[in-house]
Amino acid sequence: MLNVRICVGTYCYITGSSDLIKLKDRLPEEIKDKVSFIGSACLGCDESDESPNPPYAKVGDVLIKQCNEEKLLNEIYSQLGLER
Amino acid sequence: MLSNTKKLFIEAGSFQQNKHGNIVCGDTVLMHKSIEENRTIAVVSDGLGSGVKANVLSTMTASMALNFSIRREPIVRTAKIIMDTLPIDSVRNISYATFSIIDIESDGNAKFVEYDNPPLILIRDGQLYKLEKEETVIKREANQIEGNDRMVMLSNIELQKEDRLICFSDGVSQSGIGNMTMPFGWEDGVNDFIIETLKTNPYISARELSRIIVKQSEFNDIFKPKDDTSCVVLYVREPRKLLICTGPPFKEEDDKYLAEIIKNYKGRKIVCGGTTSKIVSRELNLEIEVDLKDVVSSIPPVSKMKGIDLVTEGIITLGSLTEILENEIPHNIDQKGADWDIYRMILDADVIDIVAGTKINIAHQDPTLPVELEIRRNIVKKLALLLEQEYMKNVNLKFI
Repeated sequence: MLNVRICVGTYCYITGSSDLIKLKDRLPEEIKDKVSFIGSACLGCDESDESPNPPYAKVGDVLIKQCNEEKLLNEIYSQLGLER
Repeated sequence: MLSNTKKLFIEAGSFQQNKHGNIVCGDTVLMHKSIEENRTIAVVSDGLGSGVKANVLSTMTASMALNFSIRREPIVRTAKIIMDTLPIDSVRNISYATFSIIDIESDGNAKFVEYDNPPLILIRDGQLYKLEKEETVIKREANQIEGNDRMVMLSNIELQKEDRLICFSDGVSQSGIGNMTMPFGWEDGVNDFIIETLKTNPYISARELSRIIVKQSEFNDIFKPKDDTSCVVLYVREPRKLLICTGPPFKEEDDKYLAEIIKNYKGRKIVCGGTTSKIVSRELNLEIEVDLKDVVSSIPPVSKMKGIDLVTEGIITLGSLTEILENEIPHNIDQKGADWDIYRMILDADVIDIVAGTKINIAHQDPTLPVELEIRRNIVKKLALLLEQEYMKNVNLKFI
């Protein structure tokens, strides 16, 4: 099972993660059973020194900045070794 | 540790239902809690007739009764002024609104004034307690249309823990009038109903009891209330405590202190904020699990942490909560979302301790963000004020 963590902290939520968490209900068939969507209270954007790039998401151990559906799916597919 | 729990605590709750087909209520219920004096005052007034005219009469009466009581004006003077001030009904040629005043001091000494409302009910040890009432005649000078003097009932008592005071308008006692089972209305049946309810649910909150009484009256009238129906319940109880922590402490050293407060708090606990819950999770070694099952579109989902009753996002949720609190008490409080979860917990609490961290979240300092993302301190102050003034809660606010 591949863990996909989506940050639902304030900043990430209003910059797009509110839509990202809904993705779990309409995942493509071929990856549906291979990923588990988990929320996260904060993935640490407030700790880094660089200016924040929300929303953040984490696929396995890879942190994705300014995440959107496209980026997230690409990362999931590449980590699962599947073609999109 | 943040609040003094030794004082007698009074939970106040009320519920109203308009006469069928009316959009305003002819009864007025006003409550006031003065924090400095630890004094609770509740007023119920029923205006003559129904609709807007009754609403005006009862609003005038209730606000006069409340404000005179706060200033400790003698009751005879208060009653006289109220009766002389009300405008005269052009149809019935009288000026009229009933009122009941309940005034409870910090030591539990309670004074009651009743004028033409159904008798006040005191339930002690699950039984109806008979109050000794003294009649006082109020002589009227102005507006002497029918010339009648009016009778006001006065009584007082020392309240004890677990006492309940119930006061309602005649919409309750006269509900169901004309039915086969209750030809003259509910009358004394309401006493039995209250005692039965308390038997099955001895710790029912004032809010819930007042709601049940009004709902039952509505049921007696087969869901078409024949009169405006209001009920106020005051419940003397051990205060129920609620802790709301939001925001990271200004100094990082204080993270431990925040965690200690949460760990040692005796009562229900809410943590609002992603960073805050991360701090708590780190300091207390608790895992956060975000629940993505029941997601409500506008509010970030709630999380779970062992030992914490509720973990939510911060500013968006608190902002939405403040909005709910600012509006009138909604009829349906069982709505989904983190803000409604907090709202329900607040309604059930008497003492609310708020610990607000004042560290500015650098990530939020983005001019493109909506204005609603206010500074935490402002939103928390607003929340505390609302809870104190509108919801009669004992609020302790602490900034760290």
